Order: sequence, then structure tokens, then C-alpha cells
Amino acid sequence: MINKLGIIYRAFGSAKLAIFLFFALALTSIMGTVVPQGLSPEKCRSLYSSGLYSFLDFFDIFDMFHSWWFTVLLGLLAVNLIVCTVTQFRRIYSVYLVPGRGIDDDTVFQSSQFKKSYRSDKGLSEIEGQSKRLLKSLIGRPVSVRRGGSSYLFAEKGKYSRLGVVFVHLSVLFILAGSLIAAIWGFDGRMTIVEGETSNRVFLSGEGHAVMLDFDIRCNDFTVDFYEKGVPKEYLSDLSILEKGKEVLSAPVRVNHPLRYRGLKFYQTTYGVAQKSYFLVKVRNKRTGEETLMKMGMMEKVPLPGAEAQLAIGEFRPDYQGRGPAVLGVLFEEGKPHRMFWIRKEGMFEKSKEDGNFTFNLEDFKRYYYTGLRVTKNPGMPLVWDGFLLVLIGFILNLFFAHERIWVRISDLKEGCEISVAAGSSKRREVLEKKLHKFSRKLGLE
Amino acid sequence: MNDTYIVSIVTFIYFFAAFFYLISLVFRKRFADGAASALLFSGISVHTIAIIVRWVRSYQLGIGHAPLSNFYESLVFFSWAIIFVYLIIMRRYKSGLIGIVASFFAFIILAYASLSGQVADHIQPLVPALQSNWLISHVVSSFLAYACFAISFGASIFYLISPRVSVLADRKLWDEITYKMVSMGFVLLTLGIITGAAWADRAWGRYWGWDPKETWSLITWLIYGAFLHARLVAGWKGVKMSIISILGFLAVIFTYLGVNYILSGLHSYL
Ligand code: HEM
Repeated sequence: MINKLGIIYRAFGSAKLAIFLFFALALTSIMGTVVPQGLSPEKCRSLYSSGLYSFLDFFDIFDMFHSWWFTVLLGLLAVNLIVCTVTQFRRIYSVYLVPGRGIDDDTVFQSSQFKKSYRSDKGLSEIEGQSKRLLKSLIGRPVSVRRGGSSYLFAEKGKYSRLGVVFVHLSVLFILAGSLIAAIWGFDGRMTIVEGETSNRVFLSGEGHAVMLDFDIRCNDFTVDFYEKGVPKEYLSDLSILEKGKEVLSAPVRVNHPLRYRGLKFYQTTYGVAQKSYFLVKVRNKRTGEETLMKMGMMEKVPLPGAEAQLAIGEFRPDYQGRGPAVLGVLFEEGKPHRMFWIRKEGMFEKSKEDGNFTFNLEDFKRYYYTGLRVTKNPGMPLVWDGFLLVLIGFILNLFFAHERIWVRISDLKEGCEISVAAGSSKRREVLEKKLHKFSRKLGLE
Repeated sequence: MNDTYIVSIVTFIYFFAAFFYLISLVFRKRFADGAASALLFSGISVHTIAIIVRWVRSYQLGIGHAPLSNFYESLVFFSWAIIFVYLIIMRRYKSGLIGIVASFFAFIILAYASLSGQVADHIQPLVPALQSNWLISHVVSSFLAYACFAISFGASIFYLISPRVSVLADRKLWDEITYKMVSMGFVLLTLGIITGAAWADRAWGRYWGWDPKETWSLITWLIYGAFLHARLVAGWKGVKMSIISILGFLAVIFTYLGVNYILSGLHSYL
């Protein structure tokens, strides 16, 4: 029984499993980038033949990163990592970290990376004193012990750098645990609030239902700035948080500068012109000279008087090319392709004025923006950040620090003594080699 | 002077560096090797100036930002990173052969950036999502990682063809360079993914969203992770390792280019 458990334990800790999982995750992820993820079932059905659709749907390929089998792969990686990390830590602990281990171990003088022995006619205690001082300046304060006729010295530095790999592996576990927590207890949704209005309704992504926050958010104001070419440069919502109707906090929220409140984060993501905005457009029929004033909302087609034509407003700019407010008109005329042009108070822009049967003026408008916010709650986040930090610490330990060790055994002979030196380094052997030369030179052995 | 003009000069410097490395290889002339290294040192200095000039120019245009925010700028930085990484390891490996790989890659990338009509080289304003300091650290670490992978790719190719090409006979060297560059690249790529996650968290409200670009960076990371464990833990050797390293670099290329041209996603700026 114990034996079988041992076999299973070793299987889960094996490097072969790790390599298999690396490749399995990579290959399946490729599929997840080729097949679009997270679309609605109708959309997916329209993209593939019905046979292929059912096949892909059966294996949850349309949302494969959240499918049971992908989760199982990640879970296996986690188990693999736990077993590896425990095994590795125990090995590192018992070989390198147990204090005082192996000071008087004679085998190192045969098995180490570097080994040498010398003779000296000086006495044991003289050599011992000198060696201690030298080791201290080269590596670190040595520990010593006497056994039989010999004195053993051992000095090391950077032993904790051996833990770098352990930290790297632990970090992945932290990140996996953090995402698991987020998947269970977190949420991710969106809310829209029209300028001047208040809301507490968050629509959850994917699932299509809403949750109500137990506080309210008011959008006091929304502003957007454009570059000259009409690309948005910055947009900003001025939000207030209301607890039981009382304002407790007021803050601007911009892209890249979210607001945190009670474990939630509010991100500026989109904006638009709200439905309740209206635009008064004066239409003049060039042929008949007839003028009409039309009250229009965003994105709704309004029939033009006396013609088989409709106008819609597709966009609003507070300041179009430095020439004041303008709306983008879209004109649909019977039997013609639709036309788009910008309409200002003074009329249309020059080049669109001549053609067509109508002219338009933006007489007046009342414009309300809505702000689109992403609202997230992610209780796994601290673990994920700690994981990120841990992997960096691990890499720094692994790259920039070496574990260097030097053993010295000084044995009393009838005349003088015999000095054996052994040493090892977890990397950068050249550095250690130089130190060893210095050691033996200063002792007068080379 | 205009930075795009300076970049076209640098393109030629890298071309001549590759040429001199080739001469040194074919005719075994030491002076050619020295000349090539000197060209690379001057090339990267001028290259750095071009990047700074562009940075300053963006401020003069009133849309100031680090020159790391569109495809053209990323190509210019990528080739800079390749030469930079090569110059760091050059002394250690004393192999002009890797110099051919580095200067040739840098040349091809710059030539594509300057000459291809598809790459817009004017300075563009930054949309709000890109206005973040995380972006700079993200791009710098990712492209330094890509540079290491490019060099390891070259070394792996040399490893595979070395039995047929006598000047490449030192297989151990190619194996060593492949491994060293993959380990360095893996650390930098990890840093790149982390800073990218931090940026995505601030800009989009999630640190990871299985966007095709993100997923491909993970695929790349997994392949190189498999490389390191296959070598360090499972003791794989030789041809198998070269093949994994080549697969890894193909994934790098796909993460960088393929995702934009073939798949679509949020990262379509770069
Ligand atoms: C996503 C998960 C993993 C990551 C990011 C990772 C990362 C690393 C890194 C960066 C190293 C150090 C390489 C070097 O020194 O250059 C390493 C070493 C190692 N990994 Fe992993 N690893 C992962 C999973 C695993 C798993 C599942 C195992 C279990 C078999 C494992 C076993 C080992 C061992 C035994 C070493 C030590 C090699 C040595 O002593 O030099 N790793 N890993």
C-alpha cells in the first residue's frame, strides 16, 4: 500500500508529467486562439457547419479556458508543482540548510568540484588561525570543529540562494490559487450611468444577469478630450459614491486610473451619448425651399418631410476640428447609397453642402453622455501580486547570488601539517576558483 | 535630423557588420571580425540616438511618449535589443558566428521597418489605454526577451546544421548559447508577462483575459518552460533541445506578428 502511494507520489512529482503538461497546455491554448472565445451560441453556430459546431461545443471549445478539462490540466499542474516543490524543498533543506551539517565530513575532500591538498611545515594552530581569518575575509565567518588529530573549518555564503527555484515554483501556485479564488468569489461586470443620474446595477459579463450593489454611484459629470485628428485623448468621469443616499466619496475616474471602494474597483472603459439626449436639426428641402425643425435622438432614423428619405445621427463631437459642436448625420435616400456628413450650427461642411437635395443645420441640442464602467471584485488579487513578487525574488536569487562553500581540513603531521581544501559553488565557478587561489597563496602553499 | 532617416543609416551599418562577419568566417581574417564589432558598437550608438531623437520629437509635437507604442517603433526597438544582447554576450562566447545572426536579424527587421510600405513610421498620439508607465517596462522586457530568443534560435539552427558545415563544428558552444539565452529570455519574458498583466489590470480591469496575444505569450512561455525542465530535470540533450528552442522562437514570431495579422484582439496597436 505504502509502496503504491509512493509510486503515485513520484508520478505526480515527475518532470515528465511537467513537460507533458507544458506541451498539453500550449497545444490546447493554440486552439483557444484559433476558435474565437466567449461568443454567443448563435454567433458560434453561424461560424461553423453544424457537425463541427456540435463537436466543438461538446468539448466546450467556445469557452475552453473555463472548461472542465482545461481546469483539470491546470489542476494537474498545481498538484505536480506541489509535489515537486515539497520534494525539492526537503532536499535543499537537508543538503544545504541544516545548520552545522557536514563540517567534519571527510568525503567532500574526494567528491567536490574543487579539491586540493598541500603540506606545510608550519604548525596546525598557526595554519588554523590564518585560515580562519582568510576564510572570513573571502567568504564568511567559518565554523570549526576538532576531531582526532584534525581541525575542520567550513565557511559558506549565499546558501539561501538555493531557495530561488522553490520561490519560482511557489509563485506559480500562488497565481493559480489567486485565480481559483477569483473564479469562485469574484465577479466582473459592467455598468453604465448617464450624466447626472445614479445607479447601483452591475451587469455580469457573460451570464447576462445583474447584481445590485448595496451603495449607489452617481455620475456627476463626464468629459472627453480629443486629439486634433478626432482620436480620444482622455476621458474622465466624475463619480460620487452614495451610502444610503449620502455622498461619502467623490473622485475622478480615468482610463488607467481606477477607483477602489469597498473591495470593488471601478474602471473607465467606454462612453457614449445617452438616449435621452436630443438634437434640433433644421432641414431645408432645396427644391421646394421648405424648412422643418426636427427633434432627433441618437441613432434613430427620422423620415424627412416631403421625400423618400431618412436622417439619423450617428455621433456627436463637442468641438469638431476646432469649429464648435457638430453631429454626424447619416442620410438614407431611396435608391441611393447612404451619405455621411458633419452638421454644425452654421450648416454642413463646405464640400457636402452642394450635393444632395437637403441642407441641415444644428439649431440646438441638449447632450448627455453616459459613462461605461467595468466593475470588478477580485479577492484573489493579493495572492496573484504576491506570486508575481515571489517569482521576481526567485529569479533574483537564482541569477545574482551563488552558494559558495569551502571546507578546510588541517591534519597534524609529525613535522608541520597537511591541509586539504574542498570547495563548491552553485554557479560562476571562476569566481570561487579565484578565491581558492588567493587562499592558498596567502597561506604560502602555492 | 529626422529619426527615420537616422534609422535607415543604421540599417546599412548592420548590413555591413553582417557582411564583415561573413568575410571573417569565410576568409578567417581577424581584422574583419574586429571591424564588424566596431560597426556594431557605432551602429547601436547611432541607433540609440535615433530613439532619443524620436522621443524628443514626440514631445515637440505635443503628444510626448516613449517611442515604444506602435509597430514601427517596436521594430526599431526589437533590432536595438538584439544588438544590445549580442554585445553583452559577445565577449563571453567570442564567436563572430552569433554576430552574423544578430546583425542579420537586426538588419532585416530595420529594413522591413523602413522600406515596407505597410509600416507607418509617423509618430502617433496615444489612446488613453496606452498612457501608462507599465507599458514601457512591459515593452522593454518583452523585446529584450525576444532578442535573447532570436539569438538562441540562431544558435539552435547552427547546432542542427553543424555536422554538415565545418566552420560550425563546435556543437557544445551552440548548445551552451542556446541554453543561456533561453534561460535569460525566460526570465525577461516572465517579467514582460507580469508587467503586461499589471498594465492590463489598470487599463482594462483584468490582469489576464485569454486575449489571443496574451494566450500566445503564455504558449511561448510554456514552450520555453518545457525547454528548461527538459534540460535541467529530465536530462534531454542535443537535437531535441534545438527543436524545442526553434518551436519557441516560432511562437515568439507568432505572438509578435501572427496574432496581429491573422488573429484579432485588444492588442491590435502593436
Ligand atoms: C509553470 C510551472 C513552472 C515554472 C514556471 C517553473 C520554472 C522553473 C525555473 C525558472 C527553474 C530554474 C531553471 C534554471 O535554473 O535556469 C525551474 C527548475 C526546476 N523545476 Fe520548474 N517550473 C515549473 C513547474 C515545474 C514542475 C511541475 C516541476 C515538477 C517536476 C518542476 C521541477 C523543477 C525542478 C526539479 C527544477 C530544478 C532544476 C535544477 O535543479 O537546476 N518545475 N523551474
